[in-house]
Amino acid sequence: MSLIDAKSVSHFYNSLHVLDDINLQVKEGEFVSVVGPSGCGKTTLLKILGGLLTPTHGELGIKGNSIDIALKRRDFGFVFQNPVLLSWRNVLQNIELPLEVIGDKTPFAESEKLLELVGLEDFGNYYPTALSGGMKQRVAIARALVFNPDILLMDEPFGALDELIRERLNLELLRIWQETKKTIVFVTHSISEAVFLSNRVIMLSERPAKIVGIREIDLPFPRTSETRQSKEYFQHITWLRNQLKES
Amino acid sequence: MATQPTQRIINWLAPVGFFTLIIAAWEFLVRVFSVPQYLLPTPSAIAVDFASSINSLLFHAGITLWEAFLGFLLANALGILLAIAFAHSKTLEKGFYPFAIALKTTPIIAMAPLLILWFGNGIASKVAAAALIAFFPAIVNTTKGLKSIDSEALDLFKSLSASKWQIFSKLRFPTALPYIFSALKISTSLAVVGAIVGEFVGANKGIGFVILVSSYHLEIVKMFSAVIAAALTGIIFFWVVSFIEKRVVFWTTLDE
Repeated sequence: MSLIDAKSVSHFYNSLHVLDDINLQVKEGEFVSVVGPSGCGKTTLLKILGGLLTPTHGELGIKGNSIDIALKRRDFGFVFQNPVLLSWRNVLQNIELPLEVIGDKTPFAESEKLLELVGLEDFGNYYPTALSGGMKQRVAIARALVFNPDILLMDEPFGALDELIRERLNLELLRIWQETKKTIVFVTHSISEAVFLSNRVIMLSERPAKIVGIREIDLPFPRTSETRQSKEYFQHITWLRNQLKES
Repeated sequence: MATQPTQRIINWLAPVGFFTLIIAAWEFLVRVFSVPQYLLPTPSAIAVDFASSINSLLFHAGITLWEAFLGFLLANALGILLAIAFAHSKTLEKGFYPFAIALKTTPIIAMAPLLILWFGNGIASKVAAAALIAFFPAIVNTTKGLKSIDSEALDLFKSLSASKWQIFSKLRFPTALPYIFSALKISTSLAVVGAIVGEFVGANKGIGFVILVSSYHLEIVKMFSAVIAAALTGIIFFWVVSFIEKRVVFWTTLDE
């Protein structure tokens, strides 16, 4: 059974047609990326999958239940394009915010362990203004994991970072994914980032966004910087790029 | 790093030096041109008067500060509560905001006689005048601050099924706090102005009363002393609020 099951989802903002008949299934433990030109509706799709937006048409099931049940169960951990850390809380307090909001849910791991997981063990008492962009996004990832949601929804989390930091965080995200065994839906406008990270890449067209290609990425794990040099890696990228051209 | 202490000394020295220069020039010009005392007294005469009447000045300034402080509390408590109501109801905001602006544009000096009529010659009319004039920054800034939350931050709270109260207490209000403190700082000086205006219209104590009486008697030196006391009152009030601000909204100065 699919963990996420979206059936013919379409969405309009007033008269603006954003998503057109999207069908998407995500299996448990899978890393799926959604790629497409900027402004095509990737973020809208992610918000719909996470219950932040009700689609104009279509159906959505999470673990066989409705989205409302999934939201109440707190199935989703979001990581946004901006880290949205609260500047009056230090790193630890930011990570623990979801626990305060939820109240009764037991933490996924000790906050200190989570800090270690995202490589910030010495920064728990720092305030966000003292952190670099990459560090802030690591905090955001730890915050999304702290209440142990089944699904991580990530909206171009590394889009604002420079390339070297981005590649490092890509590797770390893969390590975190393998350690935590979460299901991840990852939105990005970078085809190469999507190919490097994912089990499967969904290619969207210009608005109104349709799925124009789905590609299984069978590159072996663990993926390393050598993966980025392999012939197969480039083949996947080329194939996906062609799907967008042909659409 | 090594230049930092020197820089700090310059930062202090510059205004102090400039002040000394102005005072010296003032003293010098008044003496050289023999400007009559009832037009412009020398700084030294003012200083002597200020020192000799310090007890009386402290008493009157204390009264004014107390009136201003009560007006300040009333205005800001009301302003912040109204802004919170606005943030939750567009209708309320649309209905009330024009009146807040009308209140702002009505000169406080025009309202003062009315306030004396309503609230009498005592402290209440001064508190009302101070509150009326200090009310506007709180309502405008708090409304703006409560609305200035990041849409992704709101999404974060929604994805956690946060309650309205949690969104308010953990996101909206802390986001608005720096805006609220800007308003508090502005309204300190406004509240002092309001209290003094109230005293001008009818009072038997307070710094406004001292200024008015000394102008009747052409006691220009005393008047200068009182004006300085009024200015100091406002400055001290402002400093106290700034001091609290630095401790409450500490994160706004962290990156410096």
